[in-house]
Amino acid sequence: MKFISVAIKDFKELIRDRRGLFMILLFPMFFMIIFGFAFGDMGKSDETHNLAVINLDEGAKMPLSNEEVNFGDNLTKILSDSEYENSDVKLFKVTNTSESTANKLIQLKEADAMIIIPKNFSQTIVNKMEDSITAQGTGTTSTDNNSNNDTLKLLIKGDSSSMGFGVSQAVLVKIIGEYQDNLAAHIQSQISGSSVETLKLFEGDVESVSGTESFSQFDFLAPGMMLFAILLLATTVAASLTREVEKGTLARLKISKMRSFDMLFGALIPWSAVAAIQVLILLTVALIMGFNWQGGLNSIVLAMFIGVIGGIGSIALGMIIASFAKNDTQAFNLGIMVVVPTSFVVGAFFQLPQMVIGEIMGRSFQIYDILPWTHILNALKSVLIYGNGWSAITYDLAWSVLLTVILFIIGIGMFSKFRLSVEN
Amino acid sequence: MMDEFIIEANNLSKSFGDFVAVDNLNLKIKKGEVFGFLGPNGAGKTTSIKMMVGLLRPTSGQILIDGTEIRHADKLKIGICPQDIVLWESLTCKESLKFMGEMYEVPNDILKTRVESLLEDLMLMDKANTLVSNLSGGMKRRLNLAMALIHSPEIVVLDEPSEGLDPQSRRVLWNFIRSLRDKEGKTVILTTHLMDEADGLSDRIAIIDHGKLMRLDTPKNLKKEIGEGDIVEIHLFDSKMNQKLISRLKTLENIDSVIEVDGIINVRALNAVGKLPEIMSEVQNMNIEIADLSLHPNTLEDVFIELTGTRLRE
Repeated sequence: MKFISVAIKDFKELIRDRRGLFMILLFPMFFMIIFGFAFGDMGKSDETHNLAVINLDEGAKMPLSNEEVNFGDNLTKILSDSEYENSDVKLFKVTNTSESTANKLIQLKEADAMIIIPKNFSQTIVNKMEDSITAQGTGTTSTDNNSNNDTLKLLIKGDSSSMGFGVSQAVLVKIIGEYQDNLAAHIQSQISGSSVETLKLFEGDVESVSGTESFSQFDFLAPGMMLFAILLLATTVAASLTREVEKGTLARLKISKMRSFDMLFGALIPWSAVAAIQVLILLTVALIMGFNWQGGLNSIVLAMFIGVIGGIGSIALGMIIASFAKNDTQAFNLGIMVVVPTSFVVGAFFQLPQMVIGEIMGRSFQIYDILPWTHILNALKSVLIYGNGWSAITYDLAWSVLLTVILFIIGIGMFSKFRLSVEN
Repeated sequence: MMDEFIIEANNLSKSFGDFVAVDNLNLKIKKGEVFGFLGPNGAGKTTSIKMMVGLLRPTSGQILIDGTEIRHADKLKIGICPQDIVLWESLTCKESLKFMGEMYEVPNDILKTRVESLLEDLMLMDKANTLVSNLSGGMKRRLNLAMALIHSPEIVVLDEPSEGLDPQSRRVLWNFIRSLRDKEGKTVILTTHLMDEADGLSDRIAIIDHGKLMRLDTPKNLKKEIGEGDIVEIHLFDSKMNQKLISRLKTLENIDSVIEVDGIINVRALNAVGKLPEIMSEVQNMNIEIADLSLHPNTLEDVFIELTGTRLRE
């Protein structure tokens, strides 16, 4: 297990190089603080957002009372009535419209977001109620016998690069989540059963989100800052690998029985830990600076996990840089030259204009999506800004893992070829 | 006997672009000997040993380690102590040795005792838990050497081991090198540009210049080759007169050779002391002023000068 020995050695070097460690952790922190001051108050007013509602719900009859209901109308009303916490400013100015008009409104920036309520919205809820009642009547406690597997899909769309959409989306997710909870509780009390499990009305795992406090620009920048920090690791990793080359310690290792795998996999472990700690520290700093963190402790663990994957990507990038750099200063400079543009491309600071190059699994695939960090950032935002869980980030996580693995293989390949093979 | 030689270099060459660093080198190193590579800086010593330990690919030629092509040779057989200090600054002495041993897959129990004994032998025991960055230059040198020995290699390659050592540490090092050969039966290859080191330590010496092997023999034989005798070195105030004086001195009887080395006239003769009055009268006759004059017995350096026409150290 030589890679463990390498990991321990690298870890000791990392910890004992206090100055280096401080730089790695403090530099991004400094950025976060500056951004917190600069953007913390920006857009923080309780602004009413324009929401286009496309209510296609055809209504349904309630199972016991046969009363005509339209949950879509009900939800629309709730959306138009909702107000900011501790304020009488409305969250949304609702416009009922068609999907095509809504698209136009979004393009013209007259609507921040649109929500589509499907035509079977009420019917699906009623079906679920009936299933519960049947289950109750026959004494079955299982919910698996749901003959009706319709899932409710409330589609929220908008321009993902606009902050208005970001806020609207977060708020919508919260309102819908509460609506679901209230509805489920309501149905439960109506059918007096207690052993039936909560009706799952909405697709996706919506965790409870904290109050609709005002979002600021900073909230949307903070995850980007974390990503920037993670990307910056590439420079440090490149510099540290190049130092081994420059100081000749690599030559020592080359003539030993160590293989490239041992060296690079060994290096991965302490640096991944740094990435995780970085996310934690930056999240703490961001919170101090007023970041609206959504989600519970879970989201921290999840964000750290995402950070580690991003960190591995950066380590791979560091290996590629170290394959070319002649000394650690050059590695550092080269690293900055690669990392800063990459941060812009993956949207760490602001979203670049859309450049769709294809469609994969029903989602548009943009040119930026070939970099793992784009997905890392999406996942970080999803978890930290919107308080989403696993299921919401599976797509981005899968992509980032795949792309990181590819990048890591390239990194190992290049470093082995240029640095670990016998010199010519 | 076939396996008497532990390293064989056959027609070994290395070029970097147009520059030929090693030119068709052929040599065989015996098991259990101390083999010295002697040559001025830039002669191709380091390039040669880098190829011999498998760090550098030869442009042409072949290296056999114990009869096996270097690429397939057992890495455990060779240990190299590089010319520069190559250490991890933020590890302690003990940690460095332990880590290196692990990289050579030395079993834990053996590694533990070996770390202890190396620290003991190289007088680093009380610095075992000191960070490398806090060691003195000499201590770093000693640890640098220990790192090459942690896997107990059969062949120990030392590239300019005395570089940067004070005379006292140098003696310690030399004794250690001798004990490697005498007590542990190891083959030691060392490169040096120090005559006394090559002379005092090596069983055999390869003299290298411009990438070429000039001579390969025992120090004794090498010295014998240019004959017994003394060397007179004459430094004139006006070096322009050197050639004139040389041509005059060459006419004298019983003078083996007269050459100019780095602006100094070098006269070799069996009985140089007896020849001094004759030499001095020639100088006076020519009305030349002498800045410095010295006389010393024939050394390996003079062999080198004879072979290459230059001194080892410029």
